[in-house]
Amino acid sequence: MGNYITTVAVNIAIFSLLALSLNIIIGYAGQSMMGHAAFFGIGAYTAAIMTNAGINFWLSLPAAMLVTGALGSIIGIISLRLRDDFLAITTIGINFVMVALFQNMDFFGGSLGMAVKTPSFLGQRMTSTHFLVLLVILIVLVCLLIQKMNNSWFGLALASLRGDEGAAQSFGVNVNHYKVLAFIIGTAIAGLTGGIYAHRMTFIFSSNFAFVISISIISMVVVGGVGTIRGPLIGAILLGAAPEVLRFAQDYRMILYGGVIVLMMRFQPQGLLGEDSFLQRKFNQYISPILNKKGGESHA
Amino acid sequence: MFLQQLLNGIMIGSVYALTAMGATLIYGILRILDIANAGAYVAGAYFGWFIYFKTGNLILAFLISMAATGLIGVLLHRFIYAPILSKPRILPIVPLVASVGLFTLSGDLARLIAGPGTKAYNVDFGTEVINIGKLTVVPAWILIIVLTALLFTILWLILNRTKLGLAWRATAEDSDIAQAMGVNTNSAMALSYILGYGFAAAAGIMVGILYNSITPALGEVPSYKMLSIIVLGGLGSPVGTVIAGLFIGLAETMFSAYNLAFIPKDSIAFIVLILVLLIKPSGLISKSNNI
Amino acid sequence: MKKLLALILSLAMIFAFTACAPKEAPAPSEPGPAEEPAKTEPIRIGFFAPVTSPAASADGLSAENSAKLAVKLVNEAGGINGRMVELVNYDDGLDTTQAVSIAEKLTTKDNVVAVVSGSYSGPTRVAAPIIQNAGMVMVSAYAVHPDVVNAGDFIFSQSFPGKVQGKAGAEFAVKTLGAKKIAIIAVDLDFGTELANTFTAHAEANGAKVVSVDKVAISDNEFTAIITKLKEKVQPDLIYIANYYAHAAEVVKQCKLQGLNVPILGTEGADSWQFLLTAGEHANGVYLTTNMNRDDVSTTTQEYITRYREEYNMEPDMVGASAYDAFQVLFEAIRQVGTDDPAAMRDAIAGLKDFSTVTGKLIKYTENGEAVKAVQIQQVVDGKFTSKGEITDLDIITPSAK
Repeated sequence: MGNYITTVAVNIAIFSLLALSLNIIIGYAGQSMMGHAAFFGIGAYTAAIMTNAGINFWLSLPAAMLVTGALGSIIGIISLRLRDDFLAITTIGINFVMVALFQNMDFFGGSLGMAVKTPSFLGQRMTSTHFLVLLVILIVLVCLLIQKMNNSWFGLALASLRGDEGAAQSFGVNVNHYKVLAFIIGTAIAGLTGGIYAHRMTFIFSSNFAFVISISIISMVVVGGVGTIRGPLIGAILLGAAPEVLRFAQDYRMILYGGVIVLMMRFQPQGLLGEDSFLQRKFNQYISPILNKKGGESHA
Repeated sequence: MFLQQLLNGIMIGSVYALTAMGATLIYGILRILDIANAGAYVAGAYFGWFIYFKTGNLILAFLISMAATGLIGVLLHRFIYAPILSKPRILPIVPLVASVGLFTLSGDLARLIAGPGTKAYNVDFGTEVINIGKLTVVPAWILIIVLTALLFTILWLILNRTKLGLAWRATAEDSDIAQAMGVNTNSAMALSYILGYGFAAAAGIMVGILYNSITPALGEVPSYKMLSIIVLGGLGSPVGTVIAGLFIGLAETMFSAYNLAFIPKDSIAFIVLILVLLIKPSGLISKSNNI
Repeated sequence: MKKLLALILSLAMIFAFTACAPKEAPAPSEPGPAEEPAKTEPIRIGFFAPVTSPAASADGLSAENSAKLAVKLVNEAGGINGRMVELVNYDDGLDTTQAVSIAEKLTTKDNVVAVVSGSYSGPTRVAAPIIQNAGMVMVSAYAVHPDVVNAGDFIFSQSFPGKVQGKAGAEFAVKTLGAKKIAIIAVDLDFGTELANTFTAHAEANGAKVVSVDKVAISDNEFTAIITKLKEKVQPDLIYIANYYAHAAEVVKQCKLQGLNVPILGTEGADSWQFLLTAGEHANGVYLTTNMNRDDVSTTTQEYITRYREEYNMEPDMVGASAYDAFQVLFEAIRQVGTDDPAAMRDAIAGLKDFSTVTGKLIKYTENGEAVKAVQIQQVVDGKFTSKGEITDLDIITPSAK
């Protein structure tokens, strides 16, 4: 039983990292990034190729981050030239092109996919529990990073991107700089997650990084609450646990998924726990005062 | 052989243009990317099949299916898209995500209601092939090219020769000013959906007839390919969509025919798009007023 | 927020400690000597198939229907050794992440004695190592990826792998049909790639030449350009189609319409009523390599076909028949062994000889867990799949060890 729960927890943890990282780009920087799964995939294949070539797993992860972040910077630069809708479609296009490359190039294993070695930690083969610990540590680090970002010039620049780009620029904030940086950080984290995912799955193929996955990640962010830290986490938990919890209704899974997304966008586009959502307001109304006996504020 | 491939390409391109037209019309007015247009494509194919199966009348199948999907489109606009767009500060991806949800629903409803197995139209045109010189023409091609041309002519007439069309063009250009001038923007929006989804439905039926097979996964590829086509065509320009659709149809056919298939065919649309956008960020045909 | 972080950090530390603590050994192959289960306890068998995935749902449903039928029929006949069989079935949505959770659930929570995979190569491939490590038997119905059985000795496949089918196809094409100039059209998935590669190798080793290879994406139904090219430029004397039914139907139709009248050899991907429905009368004359022989007079085969039709009002296909047979293999092993001991089941399956199934006689299993079976050659005659012979040459049908 333990292993099953751990496995589901690992799934949720991977989704969390993907959602948190995407949120940096679409939530904080307000950019329409519809191809996040491509970067998840680039990280996955990079790390897999490296460990298959004999390089240590723990080295392959930073390498995956670097490669993915570098490619992410290209998207960031492209985003400076394109209007939002065009950017959305370009990122979709990139997702498809990457998947086609993964599918058709023998370098990536082609249509037979790529087998990935199981890594070791301190001499022991890594198990689901090891992966879970690693992922949770990373989630904490990423949350801290995002918090730090928000409280810095970076956060200011990004907030302005969401509001009035012109005003920010007049303050001397190099908005473009930060836009590209958001892409780099967001994609790099996705790449890192990909590297871990590949080693945990022992086998990856192109369809693991298809456009539908990008859509899932976006759904998690948007359903949970865009532009917050708690939002993507909640979204990841919901979407990760849902297939397991709803197994009794498994035949209706897609209908439920589609339905929930439509209803959420229609009635709560800020997400379940977004800035101004119903649940968040109730939380602030009833529960926050209890948590803050000293009467201090709470930022979340 | 070239002529044969040319004809083939035009035929495919026509279907692409027809499928994508709805997305263009909707973008023109609402400025949203509507993936649910591909849902109309799937729904249309299945409605059409059902009606053809029951009545044996293809014309009826087209008409009823187009009307039904058009109506569904209007309802979706009224109950889902319009309320979403009326909210003050939403990210552009919100309506897009909603449309993806609708598209997912359409595919799965098709699976649950009609079953996952293939359905065949089995239309008997009287003759299997028509040979014109060295060209082999399948009757379905003629149906597609003629019907698409007809539908686009009707579209052109509506947009350019009717009051409603004028309202549409005005709203597309600047919906606030149009409204201020007393233009009936609501009708313009409804028109986008009726025509848009109706066209997608027609395209779905055509593809069903052409390949004699419809499955719940029918809309998967068109959903993203059509986005590529509308952007290539300049987002919001019906003429651009037709040109882009034909262009991609021809590009794909030529790639296949002349063994340039080192890139999977379905990626061609995106690669072309990325290349064009790098050179001309406003697409092949840009609208005169790009916001 | 600080409180949230403190909470997360403490959780992280707890996890870290549990990770460093001596861990329970992964479920061993045998938790002590197998106890005789209560004579009336049902035998639970796990199963997964892509039932909701848009692209794969037709096959998923076919596999799941056949799984349910297999269980129903065996229970009607009194169960196995007096015990009823219970099916624990899941939908994997053609998603490898889900397949992993399902495999973990089946091996640790669901109390099943064995698993059948009714899914494609991806999910099967990722589930295999998990099930192997849990020391449980898995029989894969129709996933052809070579790596599936390589996961270990507990993993078996029910039907011949892609490389055998490709070889058999080439054997038939070159030796029986006398083809010398062959054009291949293949879907760009592992199914098409494996078949195309092995077909080419064997055909060329026997004097024929593969003069063109066209790879097509699964979603792409447009073959006019390719057929025109084949007709006017390539001029093959046989076309080999390593595709699924929708593609196969289009190829076949285009060939007839454009007047390219050469023999067409398909594979088990085309073995489906959907091929016959879509291609209509154009399907007549097409050959296929497959594992299902509908003309087989054995009662097992005919019973399956009849009952499937009755139960589901549909024609059964290769996917369904393979799933059904995966269960038959398991049932036989459990019958022989008498207990729920997975290691004994594994040995029983490995030791099966000349076991009769719907998809032909299972001659034996290789050391690797791959089935050695005759490859059926079928031809579509008057809108029905009819038998045209089989390839039984052991050299061809025995998968070589990896």
